[in-house]
Amino acid sequence: MLSTKGQVIERLLKGDFICRTTDEDGWRFLKNAANRSQVDDYLAQLNRLVVQVGAGADGEVFFCGYRQLGEEERKVIGQQFRDICNALTPLVEWLVLVQEAGAQDAPLTEGTPVRLNELQSIVEDTPAFREQLARISHYRLFGSASTSVDGQIKQVFKRLCELGYLTRPNPDKQIYLATGKLDYLYEVIRFIDESESLDLEGRAESASQGQLL
Amino acid sequence: MSGNLHQAGVRFLRQLGRHAEPIMDAYLSGSVPDQALEPAVEERLVKGGILYRPEPGADLHLRRAVRALLEEALRDDRNRQIDANTGAALATFKTLAAHYKEARHTGDYAAADAYLADLKEHVYAFGETLGHSIRVLWSRLNNEFGYVGTLNAKIRENELAQSQVSELLAGLEMISFEALAETAGDLRELRRLLVTRLQRTVGACAQELSIVQGRLLELLGRFRQIRGRTRLLKGWLLHMEQQPDYQVGNHVAQPNLPQLFNQAAPVLAPAALDIHNPQHESDLLSLVVQIRALQPPERFAPPPGEAAALILGEAEAFEVQGNPIREAVSAYFCRVIDSGQPISALDYRRQHGLPWDAESWLYQVIGGYEGLPEEQKECFELLSDGEAHPLYSGNFIIGDVKLCLIL
Repeated sequence: MLSTKGQVIERLLKGDFICRTTDEDGWRFLKNAANRSQVDDYLAQLNRLVVQVGAGADGEVFFCGYRQLGEEERKVIGQQFRDICNALTPLVEWLVLVQEAGAQDAPLTEGTPVRLNELQSIVEDTPAFREQLARISHYRLFGSASTSVDGQIKQVFKRLCELGYLTRPNPDKQIYLATGKLDYLYEVIRFIDESESLDLEGRAESASQGQLL
Repeated sequence: MSGNLHQAGVRFLRQLGRHAEPIMDAYLSGSVPDQALEPAVEERLVKGGILYRPEPGADLHLRRAVRALLEEALRDDRNRQIDANTGAALATFKTLAAHYKEARHTGDYAAADAYLADLKEHVYAFGETLGHSIRVLWSRLNNEFGYVGTLNAKIRENELAQSQVSELLAGLEMISFEALAETAGDLRELRRLLVTRLQRTVGACAQELSIVQGRLLELLGRFRQIRGRTRLLKGWLLHMEQQPDYQVGNHVAQPNLPQLFNQAAPVLAPAALDIHNPQHESDLLSLVVQIRALQPPERFAPPPGEAAALILGEAEAFEVQGNPIREAVSAYFCRVIDSGQPISALDYRRQHGLPWDAESWLYQVIGGYEGLPEEQKECFELLSDGEAHPLYSGNFIIGDVKLCLIL
């Protein structure tokens, strides 16, 4: 059996994100600076290192990045960046749908549970949500061809689990947990917002005030 | 005077108790409509200073003092009133201290004692009010302003609490212990009350308030972060709606790549296990044990044989073979019943020339008696003739038994 260190290295090399929800032991292990430098030393042989995103009490994610960037590495990163940019809009729409359907103040963050059955019954009862779900599920990211709410929502959740945005702790229950990769998504949007000066927050605020007026 | 006050207070409290229902209704719903109360009750409550009418034609409301009493007693979350008026309290302290000093100076000790008691009451009340304010702040903090629904309302509540903390801290700063020490002069009682006691209270409260302030700021930060995320998502969707041909800039082409996007390609492909490695055997076995295999029971059960034809017929007659010694015992019992006289078992054996030896006969009789059902046993009594063992106490040797009928 592998030690925690071995498991962490394995998961990092597999391209997984390590957060508190998906792998609490590994996450705690990496929080310790000494352990992290050990893992870093090991990964250095493969031109890799541990990258940490997000700071705060529990919003931290670790994943594996390159140490030295050459042509090949830049090509890989460019491809991944394009992938994530293409995934942004479908994911954001899905996050808004979940938040609005649940009538919650906060969008999903790491560790928030999502109950598929509840969400499904709310979406089924509300035509606007049904339309939104249909649109979201037909994005290439989710790739659903189904016409029923049941098929669409299951496909979306399945893809989200595959992509690592959700985990399902108990395979017998339809309860999903949001992972730290979602928090990573917020960081990406925030980064784009800041570096391109899009002023997304201001825009949303003025739009909501316009609705109030 | 004090007797009067006492009586009036008791009357007031009784009135509160007697009209507890309408008062609680007023507390919970904010007001009581006129029709809900009988005119006499209404007049009494208004006169007693429990209810009041804020303006002509309005419903009756609870007086602030009564409401505050209830909020405090019920530890109601909605209670956000905080008394931060330190200036007034300080002025009262100074005035009472001056009265006390003057009374001492003129030698009026009775009045001085009364002033001192009054001052004490005020100082204690000041500490109590501060403590109460902090408790109220904590209780609101601890449920994260759960009594209001939306995030914006929570942020507003948090800002209100922060301004209250700042006010309290500003009020505490107003207390100048030098001035108080000067006011107290060299009077020991005053010094202890105004300097030592107050200093301790204020120190503890200031410390706790700074903790509260830290927590409030932290919570506000979290609320803002959550709100920021919601807006970020909404803003993104708006942006995509307004500019459908928008393309994210190529942020990874910069010479120094942001850490955020430095994500390496996976290098580990899914692996398969090596079942020929003896070192892994125990791990693999433990995994195999966990597998819940579906094994229908019929896979192991032998196939059922051909069923023989079932023929219903008359059951063969059989006879229960009686045991002769038992029959003899029954005959003996019947004999006792017939005669109605106690008959010795050994005599009966001799009379009928029974073939069994005395001991087995006696055993059989005793056994027969013990074997009777309880209700039949009650009709007989078994008397045993015998003697105690000459050497060993506690042993009784039975020579003969007599069965008699009890009726």
